[in-house]
Amino acid sequence: MPDIVLAAVQGGLASLASYLAVHVLLCLVPAFFIAGALSALVPQQSIIRYLGPAAPKWVSYPAAAGAGSLLAVCSCTIQPLFAGIHKKGAGLGPAITFLFFAPAGNILALSYTGVALGADFAIARIVLALSFGIGIGMIMAILFRGGDAARLADARVFGAGERISGRALAFIGVLVALLIAGTLKADFLKAELAGFDLPWAGAIAAQAALDRWIPADAATGAEGLSLQGLVLVGLLAAIGAAAWRGLGQVDTAFNRLTWVTLVLAAVTLICAALGVAVTENGLSVTLTGRAVAVALLCAALLPLARRFEAWDMQQWLWETWRFVKMIFPLLVVGVFVVGVIRIFIEPGWIRAVAGANTALANLAGVVFGVFMYFPTLVEVPIAKMFLSLGMHPGPLIAYLMADPELSLQSILITAAIIGKLKAWTYVGLVALFSTLAGLTYGAWVDGAPLVVLAGAVTAFVIVLVGVLHRVERSCKSA
Amino acid sequence: MRIKILGSGCAKCNRLEQLAREAVAELGVDAEFEHVRDMEAIMAYPIMTTPALVVDEEVKVYGRIPSRDELLGWLR
Repeated sequence: MPDIVLAAVQGGLASLASYLAVHVLLCLVPAFFIAGALSALVPQQSIIRYLGPAAPKWVSYPAAAGAGSLLAVCSCTIQPLFAGIHKKGAGLGPAITFLFFAPAGNILALSYTGVALGADFAIARIVLALSFGIGIGMIMAILFRGGDAARLADARVFGAGERISGRALAFIGVLVALLIAGTLKADFLKAELAGFDLPWAGAIAAQAALDRWIPADAATGAEGLSLQGLVLVGLLAAIGAAAWRGLGQVDTAFNRLTWVTLVLAAVTLICAALGVAVTENGLSVTLTGRAVAVALLCAALLPLARRFEAWDMQQWLWETWRFVKMIFPLLVVGVFVVGVIRIFIEPGWIRAVAGANTALANLAGVVFGVFMYFPTLVEVPIAKMFLSLGMHPGPLIAYLMADPELSLQSILITAAIIGKLKAWTYVGLVALFSTLAGLTYGAWVDGAPLVVLAGAVTAFVIVLVGVLHRVERSCKSA
Repeated sequence: MRIKILGSGCAKCNRLEQLAREAVAELGVDAEFEHVRDMEAIMAYPIMTTPALVVDEEVKVYGRIPSRDELLGWLR
């Protein structure tokens, strides 16, 4: 019995260790700062102005998706914006597109999916969520076209307002470049520019002790904890301690701890980008192209930040910290629990249910996603667990599409705003389309030519738009 | 003066209320606060995103947290 407990705790720790591993930090730390910048520096009017009641379909649907990925990192923005688009703006269709795309299309979900599951999953997730989000929105608009007349037309909300300023674009651009420089698998970033040895006789013994505590296991995808990882976890803890006041109270004024936090964050990123190997004499540290790129981009942020008023930068840091406080603790707990549960699931069960790309397997992925509620981003480690247990990528995408979009909580909120009938129709459509998305992606992974699949999806969209126009025209003539 | 904070109870909305209360205390003006959480009531105002600050039924700002100087200007 104690063996099982030990195995479970080790599973949880291994799961945490691979979550806090080098490449995840290089992705998530910039992603949180980007999320904060989008929330604080992008004027919402710059996108909302395209979502007015008079906006044509080819403007309002893409704008709704844009609002989903740029403005809606947290659920407190999603709810009023959804109600606003539905009641005052472009109507039910774009509102639904916004609601569907927001959980999959925001910077945190996208970059975390990319780094934990692979770039192909991230790209599949965004492309499928975008096309099917617009599709579901259009179908909902057709089904419930009668109710749209009752909307309160309120044109003054959608007037031209502030646009995204050039300095905000430059600032966010550099942050995105930082994210890409940290995660891209390119040769010039891996290039070893210089190296030096840190003599430390106990290095091998220390690494061996870490390996005993948190064993690496290629079969489960557990990466173990390196000495470099241990240093980074320590740095993260230091950032957390400094940020509590440094960022938590930055909206009254910059304080000394604010600067400590920012410097620590930059040091963490640069340390994570260094190459560290254990040798007989100690540690061999290599200066990689990645470390240089990350350091240069961090330095470039400083002059760009000075072009803003102090209040804008205070808002940026405050928002960033708010996201971290909201998402990170739940994510850490979630990742640990996933690692513990992993020990008790037989790969055979998963393979029996969802080992192949069948309609039933995809439906199983969707049903699991609907009935389970996980905090923001925890769907990603869960998906990683399923992948390592032998789930086919098709059903995995079906699950990833359905889980964040549908939960009991979100269904109830939606029902309160648009009514029960519309809300449950939406749930049915999401289940249907998520299954379809899984089947499409699964078929592509299994080797179906991209042209055929792209053709099928394009034909589907064309039929959809055609039907929409026909129905609209017959409504007007009737 | 009647000050309404429109918001669904998110962190930003609470922060806005706190800042507005501080500004009122600093100016020493007489003001009555109300935090509107009902989505129907919020959507009756010409706004798309929360939090929003309404002073005597006039929307001063929405979708962002205003700076201290802006707040002091509106509440004077």
